[in-house]
Amino acid sequence: MGFKKVSRRRFVGGTAALSSVMVAAPFVRGAYAAGKLSVGFWDHWVPGANGATEKLVKEWAEKEKVEVQIDFITSNGNKLLLTTAAESQAKSGHDILAINTWLPARYAEQLVPVDDLMTQLIKDNGKVNDTVEYLGKINGKWVAVPATVGSQIKGPCSRIDLLKKHANIDIQAMYPAGSPPKADDWNLDLFMKAAEACHKGGNPFGIGLGTTSDNVDSIGAFFHAFGAVLVDAKGEIVLKNDQVRQALDFYKKLMQFLPPDVAAWDDASNNKFLVSGQGAMIMNPPSAWAVAKRDAPKVAEQCWTHGFPVGPKGRFAPFLPYFWSIWNFSKNQSAAKSLLMYLSSASAAEQMTNASGGYDLPSFEKLTTFKVWAEAEPPKGTLYHYPNPYNHQTLSVAAAPAPHKIAEQIYNQGIQTQMAVRYFKGEPLEKTLDWASNEIEGFMRN
Amino acid sequence: MADIAVAGTPGRRGAYGSISRDRRWAMRWSYFFLALFAIFFLMPPFYMLITSLKSSAEISAAQNPWWVFGPTLENYVALLGKNEFLIFFRNSALVSICVVTITMLISVTAAFALARMKFWGSATLATGVFLTYLIPDTLLFIPLFKMFAFVRDTTGIELMNHWWTLIIIYPTLTVPFATWIMIGYFASIPKELDEAALIDGASWMQTLTKIFIPVALPGIIAATIFSFTVSWAQFLYPMAFTTSTNELVLPVGIVTTLIKGDVFNWGQIMTGALLGAAPPLIIYAFLMDYYIAGLTAGATKG
Amino acid sequence: MADIAAPNAAVLAGDRRTGLHKLMQRKSTIAFLMALPLILLIGILVLYPACYAIWLAMLNKSMTKFVGLGNFQFLFKRDTFWDVVFQSCLFAITAVIFKAIIGFVVAHFVHNIPSKGQRKWRGMLLVPWVIPPAMSTLAWLWLFDPAYSAFNWILAHFGIGPVPWLGETGWARFSVILVNIWAGAPFFMIMYLAALKSVPEQLYEAAAIDGAAWWQRIWYVTLPMMRNIIAITALFSLIVTFANFDIVRVLTNGGPLTSTQLFGTWGFKLGIESGDIPLGSCVVLFMVPILAVAASVILRDINKRGSEV
Repeated sequence: MGFKKVSRRRFVGGTAALSSVMVAAPFVRGAYAAGKLSVGFWDHWVPGANGATEKLVKEWAEKEKVEVQIDFITSNGNKLLLTTAAESQAKSGHDILAINTWLPARYAEQLVPVDDLMTQLIKDNGKVNDTVEYLGKINGKWVAVPATVGSQIKGPCSRIDLLKKHANIDIQAMYPAGSPPKADDWNLDLFMKAAEACHKGGNPFGIGLGTTSDNVDSIGAFFHAFGAVLVDAKGEIVLKNDQVRQALDFYKKLMQFLPPDVAAWDDASNNKFLVSGQGAMIMNPPSAWAVAKRDAPKVAEQCWTHGFPVGPKGRFAPFLPYFWSIWNFSKNQSAAKSLLMYLSSASAAEQMTNASGGYDLPSFEKLTTFKVWAEAEPPKGTLYHYPNPYNHQTLSVAAAPAPHKIAEQIYNQGIQTQMAVRYFKGEPLEKTLDWASNEIEGFMRN
Repeated sequence: MADIAVAGTPGRRGAYGSISRDRRWAMRWSYFFLALFAIFFLMPPFYMLITSLKSSAEISAAQNPWWVFGPTLENYVALLGKNEFLIFFRNSALVSICVVTITMLISVTAAFALARMKFWGSATLATGVFLTYLIPDTLLFIPLFKMFAFVRDTTGIELMNHWWTLIIIYPTLTVPFATWIMIGYFASIPKELDEAALIDGASWMQTLTKIFIPVALPGIIAATIFSFTVSWAQFLYPMAFTTSTNELVLPVGIVTTLIKGDVFNWGQIMTGALLGAAPPLIIYAFLMDYYIAGLTAGATKG
Repeated sequence: MADIAAPNAAVLAGDRRTGLHKLMQRKSTIAFLMALPLILLIGILVLYPACYAIWLAMLNKSMTKFVGLGNFQFLFKRDTFWDVVFQSCLFAITAVIFKAIIGFVVAHFVHNIPSKGQRKWRGMLLVPWVIPPAMSTLAWLWLFDPAYSAFNWILAHFGIGPVPWLGETGWARFSVILVNIWAGAPFFMIMYLAALKSVPEQLYEAAAIDGAAWWQRIWYVTLPMMRNIIAITALFSLIVTFANFDIVRVLTNGGPLTSTQLFGTWGFKLGIESGDIPLGSCVVLFMVPILAVAASVILRDINKRGSEV
């Protein structure tokens, strides 16, 4: 019994909340909203960002007289993924679990459809982008609600001073705070020239080519910019096309100007690279900037988050949504739905975004102009263009539009980054394509 | 043979011959290379210590990483002030103590039965116990999920996400080796000891508790330390079976709550790693000889 | 010693044949009951899940259909699988060889110095083995960090450019093996030290009288005397190294490309991260026959030990 009390501690928090739960308990109303609910959220890596979620859930719990246990589960070392797999296999665990990118599709059959919630939310908060729909609406049914917490655009974050010094680019003029971007010149050629100049100047771009999500997202956006598709929506392998070849040539050239060990980078490497003051640009949500603000303020003052360069087929930026999903083994599905509705309101979204210092990005159209992005500093306006306020770029995910099961594997195995690394290391292009084609054939299993 | 092999017998070298010049040089070289190896072996823990004494700003500054310019205990204060960290510690301690107790109960009795009271299939069992080491934990954890689901459906007992589940699982890792050590120890005890006891009318259980356990105490201590170290260090199972912050044990707790993919906090990570390594290190510092005896017991009896 | 006791026991046994018979009856029952917790533990929590895993390995990806050995057939056609086989063997064999050599050399040095100081050195040199691997690998990860590598800081003073410790296939394999050697060599050291102490001093004296050089003493006296322990330790270590998970997982997560994936980590990647549990089980299962070969050698040794008892 002693332990049980401790285990509720995270939820209960202060003694005030404790007493109110105690008082509330005897007056539990109705069989539905009442009862217990356990929720597994993504453990935010911006310090303090979990606080808003915790507070909102508490508010809801008090209102609905539901006893909630919250767990914040890190995605590091794929702990969250492992938890999801474990709960799916054991058919028990949390009622609500935060899952990312491909998992709604993977576990679609075990998730409670949330079309009713989504219809209402889209009415309230505006449309969601195509990528969110591709990832969350499976066979015409929404199986999860796009979460504010953890959803992000992994756009470029550049050093104002270094880009000016080495490449003569004024990134603030291209992406002025408070007004639409003037970035028509910001294309792949200019990007390559800047990468070369910064490399020569000793401050290369830090674009990882490992197989973790940051790396895969970046290359995914560049592939989209070339229109390079590996597997089409019907599930046919179409990777032997000129767009893919162009994209690989582009990367082969780019990699000369990147640090030598980019092939081993993980999601933290680019952040460290920026914070250490070595890098002129990385592709990341504002967490790197937030760390720099804490540990290396001089670096933070020079950071500017902006958009991707435009390619032959358009301007694409990687968007990685988190979703809140309800397991079908949950014993309290109506309470779970009620909580998700509560967490998806505009004001809840804004509180979460604020707590994360602008990192979190709601997926709904009307929720991309919160004050926090305009006001974040130093330097003032550094995050203004982070949420893509002018729909300047198309939000995308690597490996789309392939069927989910194939796309997921392409993404998780980092096939695109592996192709780039192989080609860069001197493997003939056609051999690289053969290799990729062979690997992807292996993903067709069902 | 067994007697000669007992570990920790002081070397008999010093007694022989006069220390010639050659010998002295050989000794100097030995010290030199030992120092080199000691540097290699102790460098990572040393670097942990150094990093744990630095502030975040110092860690990200480009300067000599092997020196602490502004030593601070802020990482220790921050970590030990965290409620979660103390919970991890408590869970680890409880799990390890319970696992060690269970392990010793199971393996001492079983080892006694296998070494002294042969029964049908006992030889096969003795080898079978060792063979369990061939089955990697990476293979077992998914079937275990399924079994947990079965247990829940039939009995209503939820095994997922509870630290005490680890108490049930860990013995699979500790019992085989502990049993092996104990079989070795019991086998080296002269046969007339138990025969005499049995003839005097002692039961088998009395023979075990009154005679064998006192005599094999060093082996029992060695197996205890070994089991403790193994259960303290386990990583995959707690990572697979526990999720909530208040159910985690130390190694997984440190890796999951301190490392946040995008944001790195190396000062605290290293502090946590050092504190996580501390209990086995402390036990080892005091009981090193038993620990070494335990490690070498199995092999040197060959 | 046991032999001396035996005749006595036989005489006694003759005297009380019937009583002893009953005792024997009871003895095996009691013995079985005493071993029962062990049998249950291993049966329920190791053998049963292991068989379950074999069954899982024979299902299709969505685990709805039995496909027999289909998954294995599929695996054999994949290049990555053979890479993993190669890497696992390379990793395990190289690491074990170096652990054995370093352990042997260090044990010799410790044995060389006066016994008064031995305890201290032994204590220091065993530290890597005591630290939980998940913790110590974090320290290595930090030492190898691309942006802040403390090794590269030192190397830079000698004009050696930044080494991509975990960034290039060759270096990454080197680093992973290095960390494994670091963590495992002390175990060899301590085993060999115990073995060295059991080599009778007279043998060395005899060799010295024959005028044997130091390497001859090692080759003709030490090694043959230690053969058994070297074999057991190496094989024990081989099992643990083959099944390694933590070190690779924390250090490189199998990268760059898939050049440091081992059976355990790749199986985990396929099974958990890519949601193909049967295929993941297959990969991990593949370790078992390889280890079984190693085991059969160990087994012979254990049986020998059993008969000596």
